Amino acid sequence: MENEMPPAQQCGDGHGTLPECAPLSVPFVPFQQTGSKRFETNMALNHGTLFPGLDLPFRSKAEPTNAVQSALNELQALEFVIVELGLYLDTHQNDTEAFALFRQYVDMESQARKAYTARFGPLRQTDAADGRTYTWLKEPWPWNFQEGGAK
Amino acid sequence: MFIYEKKLQYPVKIKNTNPRLAALVISQYGGPDGELGASLRYLSQRYAMPYPELKGLLTDIGTEELGHLEMIGAIVHQLTRNLTEEQIKTAGFDSYFVDRTTGVYPTAASGFPYSAASMAVKGDVIADLTEDLAAEQKARVTYDNILRLSDDPDVNDVIRFLREREIVHFQRFGEAIRLAKEKMDQRNVYFINPAFDKP
Repeated sequence: MENEMPPAQQCGDGHGTLPECAPLSVPFVPFQQTGSKRFETNMALNHGTLFPGLDLPFRSKAEPTNAVQSALNELQALEFVIVELGLYLDTHQNDTEAFALFRQYVDMESQARKAYTARFGPLRQTDAADGRTYTWLKEPWPWNFQEGGAK
Repeated sequence: MFIYEKKLQYPVKIKNTNPRLAALVISQYGGPDGELGASLRYLSQRYAMPYPELKGLLTDIGTEELGHLEMIGAIVHQLTRNLTEEQIKTAGFDSYFVDRTTGVYPTAASGFPYSAASMAVKGDVIADLTEDLAAEQKARVTYDNILRLSDDPDVNDVIRFLREREIVHFQRFGEAIRLAKEKMDQRNVYFINPAFDKP
């Protein structure tokens, strides 16, 4: 599969590679190229993708978004990059650069998660074992939002 | 198995209640191209898949869709907090309210309850992955349409995130078909169905 992905950077980041003689009656989506440009962590969450080449907003209006405003949002931003790299690696398992990045983000996330749960309480039920009391039930639950409220 | 994470994938912070909008957004909870159908489609299709890339991708996207289901539930819940007597009579929401009060129920905006008939598991590699490409496009259009109908910036911010995810998933499913094709009969990919026939 790797030999099917020659560098086609002259086409720009929003373009990928297609086979030269494609068989009939099979759907083709171009492969995203290795070494694609990436947003930095928080911008990736704001855009809903790590990759500027895949960022195709409705009515091509890039709305100003700033989703990262709290410690929880910072963790969400790290985890989002991991999700995005994970899906990319599912179809590009031999991209060693992407895998190195994946390892790096997983490491950063695990440290950030430890710091977050120590300060704000459990994200998984078993995290509650680190406290003196059973804090799993502590409000707010993820779907609750009170303006000016907790966190 | 699945382990619950007590957080959303992307923050949902809706300041203003808006029952009319909730009655539209609910379609991505239990409608024909909603997140419940998406997660069930992918998590169910994976059993027949013969190749590890396809098992992995369907598992990972199906899992992400469950997170999106939770985000849509959060939007609907926050749009219907502390409703007044007057607000529950809002045209479009009153018919939902009479049956569900302000509970979050998997239904289409039209009132049709969630139906597995709106998704497919065919047990064939190319048929299922092509269904997935179409499914991502249909969900993308539903989000486009919500953006046309909504003027709430807090809701639209989340909807734009979810819409972009459909585009990324479409790309990955397209690549998955390519990966599958490379393992199939190069002269005729329809010679057998590798999800069922022994090659």
